[in-house]
Amino acid sequence: MDFELTPEEKAHQKEYFDFCKELEKKRPASFVGLEAVFEVDECWDFHLYCAKEFAKKGWLALAWPPEYGGSGTMMDKVLFAEARGYHGIPGVDIFGIQMLAPTILQGASDAIKKEFLPPIARGEVMWCELWSEPNAGSDLATLSTTAIKKGDEYIINGQKTWNTAAHRADWGFGVFKTDPAGRKHHNMTFLLLDMKTPGVTVRPIPYIDGDAPFAEVYFDDVHVPAKNVVGQENEGWAIVNLLAGFERSGMGEIMGMYRELEELVEFCNTTKRNGKPLSKDPLVRNRVAQLACDLEAAKAIAYRIADLQNRNEMALMDAAAAKIFYSELGERFAFVSTDIAGPYGQLKHSKWAPVDGAWEKKFQECFVTIISMGTNEIQRNIIAWYGLGLPRMK
Amino acid sequence: MDLRFTEAQEILKKAARDFLTTECPKTLVRELEKSEKGYSPELWKKMAELGWMGLVIPEQYEGIGYSFQDLTVLLEEIGKNILPGPLMTTVISSFAIMEAGTEEQKKEFLPKISSGELILTLALVEAEGTCEPSGISLKATAKGDDFTLNGTKLFVEMAHVANYMVCVTRTKEGTDKGITLFLVDSKAPGIHCEVMPTIGADKLCEVKFENVSVPKKNMLGKIDAGWPVAEMLLRKGSIAKAVESVGAMQTCIDMTVAYSKERVQYERPIGAFQALQHIMANMWTAMQTSRYLVYQAAWMESEGQPASKEASLAKAYINEAYRDVAQWAIRLHGGIATSYDHDIPLYYRRSLAASSSFGGTEFHRELVAQKIGLK
Repeated sequence: MDFELTPEEKAHQKEYFDFCKELEKKRPASFVGLEAVFEVDECWDFHLYCAKEFAKKGWLALAWPPEYGGSGTMMDKVLFAEARGYHGIPGVDIFGIQMLAPTILQGASDAIKKEFLPPIARGEVMWCELWSEPNAGSDLATLSTTAIKKGDEYIINGQKTWNTAAHRADWGFGVFKTDPAGRKHHNMTFLLLDMKTPGVTVRPIPYIDGDAPFAEVYFDDVHVPAKNVVGQENEGWAIVNLLAGFERSGMGEIMGMYRELEELVEFCNTTKRNGKPLSKDPLVRNRVAQLACDLEAAKAIAYRIADLQNRNEMALMDAAAAKIFYSELGERFAFVSTDIAGPYGQLKHSKWAPVDGAWEKKFQECFVTIISMGTNEIQRNIIAWYGLGLPRMK
Repeated sequence: MDLRFTEAQEILKKAARDFLTTECPKTLVRELEKSEKGYSPELWKKMAELGWMGLVIPEQYEGIGYSFQDLTVLLEEIGKNILPGPLMTTVISSFAIMEAGTEEQKKEFLPKISSGELILTLALVEAEGTCEPSGISLKATAKGDDFTLNGTKLFVEMAHVANYMVCVTRTKEGTDKGITLFLVDSKAPGIHCEVMPTIGADKLCEVKFENVSVPKKNMLGKIDAGWPVAEMLLRKGSIAKAVESVGAMQTCIDMTVAYSKERVQYERPIGAFQALQHIMANMWTAMQTSRYLVYQAAWMESEGQPASKEASLAKAYINEAYRDVAQWAIRLHGGIATSYDHDIPLYYRRSLAASSSFGGTEFHRELVAQKIGLK
């Protein structure tokens, strides 16, 4: 068992970190929290700028096959995520690069690959996911938005919700019911659609903090070319599972928390309360140290996932455990930081706020990771049913 | 990066599992808890034949010459099964000789440890119950060619059957400067040993030193400069205990999952209830995060990079994770696992023993606080 990176990996890691460190200097001051990209115009622009910079380096197509402009390994992808996470740099489209590209590479026709992968690698087209509906959340297979085939087109009608980035994205991928009378799991199709298609209406939804990272999307006779199917017609559920199988180690989020830990330590060292620095308070020390322990545990299991992925092995159980763990750790970070900051913890981005108001933001934003990409309760089901072999709920 | 076990490690794991399953059933564990010695000399002999005591001892001293990481692979299997006795304390203490001993000391002691002739233990903690150097007050005073030791050590594992103790003494006032390590013959005149009753029935002893004479040649390392060696033992011991705890968690989870599939209430196996499923998922998450956390620390230490932060991160985290998993294992079993004769309580009781050993949670968290830069 060896945790050591190869000299080549170390060199790449340094390159990613150096590059992101430079980009951080150009990051707008309004960039606070994970979702700023979708919420603030200048942050979205910064996202697009970073994407172009990364595209020039070929880093948007890491671990892709060379014929689609790919280079590097899965490990490069993880190391690149570390650097972006630590420096708080966007530029990698979660939906296009993390989710759709590997799905297309494995499950789509050559025509789809040729049409859609190059613009993703060039950082030109940004994507969103059209998944949940008002009455289909965790139990996604009960969705009711229809895409009825007519000639060489599908005509979509219905509503998708909680679509992160839908108000920013150029294109969307989603699952739609193509055979409403068909049996469950064999009645829906995975489609790609231009968000500017007539009939698509996007309405941003304000999150609990008032900013809008996600949107409602309404479909009113939206015509989508039939060639935009990934996989087989009526077999979109298999593609949904394939996409969900590209587990993420959460390395970006975890490295973001390393940075937050450093900021918290700095705050404790430099903030006096009751006549002494917070860092001298044993209760404060204990709570911060506990975060550090949890964080290292999160990183260790993320490496485990990276190691499995690097060998193309399944990491279903570990990925579910990692997601539960790092997302709930994010919540604990928010709680401990705002506790320690005392009355300053509640401050939004302003001249009074510690760390640019990141703690107040995180206090509200932590649910995004906990609830999205399969709620943590669903992740626990995955561990119980598919990992531990416990009886599945009917 | 390759986080798989090596082939040799897989062989070691399997051999350990097979051996422990046949040679150390829970009936023996319970018997040994009640016995005076606390270990089975017969089993000890067989373990020596397998090379366990000499696993990390270099071949030139008649050991197997495996790495520290290999040792942790063995300890995880031991943790799964439970193996009462002085194996861990002997092996961890032997690192003091390997890393700080003279060539003569190595030649004298290591082959005997390897062959199972010699049981070794670590006498570190005193009345304050801390692993900090400030807690060391047992005095060693130079007197001609000897040193005279006076004071009391507590929680010395298996001291009542040990042949030698690695004793951490104070040779000069101060904190971490002025600590000296000695190899002390546990049968030397002036040593009084008494077994303390503990939750793990693991024979932790009070050892009193009254004018105990120790020859100068038994000093380990340099005078007044012993604390870094003690720190190294704490590091390796913490990792070893933590990885053993991961093994124990695995068994707690395996047993709980298996039982929940068999036990029927409300006309279905209780494992079908999500209230229980999610707790089991949490238990598994706690174990798996623990596992790779300690593997990382073990790897560092094994590569010769002192895992001074990582060992503490792991020990602090795993102390709580093990306790948590074991208590849930009892609760999910229900009444049955509150019986003395059930196996789960053996693991639950040992979770407190494990967390108390080589530094408790608060001790390691404070070390973490220092290492992450809290001033």
